[in-house]
Order: sequence, then C-alpha cells, then structure tokens
Amino acid sequence: MIQTIEASPDEIYDIELEHSLLEANAKIAKANRSLLDEHGVTAIDVMGAIGSGKTTLIGRLVGRLKHRFGVAVFNGDATTSTDADLIADQNVPVVQIATVNGCHLDANLIGKALRKIDLANLQLIFIENIGNLICPAEFPLGSKARVVVVSVTEGQYMVRKHPHMFLGADLVVVNKVDLAGAMEVSVEGLAADVHRLKPDIKVIPTSCKSGIGLEDLTTALLGV
Amino acid sequence: MHELSIASAVVASVLEFLDKHGAQKVLTVRLWVGELSHIEAEQLRFCYMAITQETAMEDSVLEIEHIRAVVQCPCCSYKGRPKYWEDALAAAPIPTLECPQCRRAVEVVEGNDCVIRTIQFIA
Repeated sequence: MIQTIEASPDEIYDIELEHSLLEANAKIAKANRSLLDEHGVTAIDVMGAIGSGKTTLIGRLVGRLKHRFGVAVFNGDATTSTDADLIADQNVPVVQIATVNGCHLDANLIGKALRKIDLANLQLIFIENIGNLICPAEFPLGSKARVVVVSVTEGQYMVRKHPHMFLGADLVVVNKVDLAGAMEVSVEGLAADVHRLKPDIKVIPTSCKSGIGLEDLTTALLGV
Repeated sequence: MHELSIASAVVASVLEFLDKHGAQKVLTVRLWVGELSHIEAEQLRFCYMAITQETAMEDSVLEIEHIRAVVQCPCCSYKGRPKYWEDALAAAPIPTLECPQCRRAVEVVEGNDCVIRTIQFIA
C-alpha cells in the first residue's frame, strides 16, 4: 500500500529568481578580459566549422606575426592534439584544450589556459575554438574580437544556415577562395549573406594556398 | 548540444536553491529564453527530463517562455523589433542586425539571454 501525500496550496511556493544561466560564463569571460588587458594582450577567438581551415589560417598568421610580437595559441579540440602539434612546430607557446565531449570552448577553460602560460612576454593570443558553427556563439571567452571562418568548400548557403554565429562575429573570413571556381561557389554571394545579417562587418576573402588576403587579415586583426 | 550545458546549469541552480531553502520537491521551473539565444526548446526539455531523474526535480515541468528580440540603432535611434531576413530559404525568418530604418548595424537590447524566471516548489 503506497501512501500519497498531496501538498495543499499553502505549502506550494512560487519564487521569482531571475537567475541568468549565461551569466556565469559571461562573468568569467569578463575576468579573462581584465587579466588580458592588464598584461596588454589581445586575444582573438577563431570560430568556424570543422575543415574550414582555422588551424592553417592561424598557422599562417603566427608565421607572419611571431617575429614582431609575442604570440601564443590555444587550440581547442575535442580529442586529438594534431592542431596544437602543427602550430607548436613554429616554436610559439601552445596550449591544447581538450574538451573531450564538449562542443565549444567556454570562459572557464580559457581562464585555466591563461594560467598555464606566461603573459608577460605576449601581445597576441589566437584561440582556436572547436569546429562547430552553432554552440561557440553562446559562450564568449573574453577575447577582443571573434572571427568566423567560412570556406567556399562548405557551399553557398553556409552563412544563412548558421546565422547566429555570424551575428556575434566581429570579422568574417571567407577562406579557400582559390577553390571557389571548382566549387562553383560565389565569394561575393557569401559576403553578401554576411552583410545581410550584419551590415558594416568586415569580410576578408583569403587563401592559405595562394596567400590572397592574408596581408589584409593581418592588418585588420592588428587593428582590433 | 550545448542544450545539455544549459540544462545542467538550470538543474545546478535549482538544486542549490532547494538546498538553501530546505525545499523538498520542485513542481515547475519557468525559463525565459531569448529569441537571439541559440537554445532549442525541445532539446532543452529532453536534456532537462533526462538529468532531473532521481533528483528533487524529477517529474517537474520545464516551462519555456520565448522573449522577443529588441534592438536599438546607434545611428538613427530606432528601437524595436529586428529586421527579419524573410527569403533566406530558412524554416523561419532569420532575425538580422540590420536597422529596419537606416540599414546600419543595430545593437541588441533584449533577447540574448536565458533566465530562470521562477521556481514553484513544495517546502
């Protein structure tokens, strides 16, 4: 025999909480930003789908900048250290952030990574987010700029398929433009979609093969 | 699947609240989910149901109220609903950050957040 007790109305409480669920991450992101500002370090969060070319692009940028600035890279990857290994070949400090099953980096993980390196000799940190065009948008890290990389190999409609990602971006890179002809994808069309979502945002077409746009991108990033 | 992270944050906050207030059982949790947050209600409900089992939140109802976006234009002072991209071939019109009046970039005033609004519980 199971006894059931029902609460009477005077035992039921309704409490207003107004507790933001994104605030915890936002707070840590702010703390990360303060720490970076204190040391005069600019962090750039690089987001984009798997295979959009984030690692290669960061590698090229590091190659161009490491002789002029103290540069470090945080590589977010669910499992492997392949991306971190590629960048480490350039002899700059690299922190591999393995999220295991996580689909995005969050401010707490970046806070931990920041404690792993010596900020004193750095001016620039590239943060490679997990390859994913949805989840990272919700979790600011404390970076000064969020860059979204979309490559022509992802097709003509990648921007409008993932609008949220682009709404939160400060700069958009259309990558692998050397393959646009073969893919029959219009670079201008991708840029037009970005501007439809967010007017005034800078869109830079690049190719790590030919080197197109890398100078423009370097200048834009140093200006953030 | 960041809905699981969000659901975990809901459950952690509510259980902490229960602990503090000596409450026994949660009946309803009401959330405000902003139109511009990237949270999918059905997935969130599923994750919530899965992780509340065998807790004081088991069988509680997760009510989700959608909060419409409000944007403001720093150029022409427009304040109101965002402009929507109607013909994007998407399932629903996509909210954009283009000012409906002057076409420059607007800033988001409301609709970005995800908030636990109220908790109904038995003391």
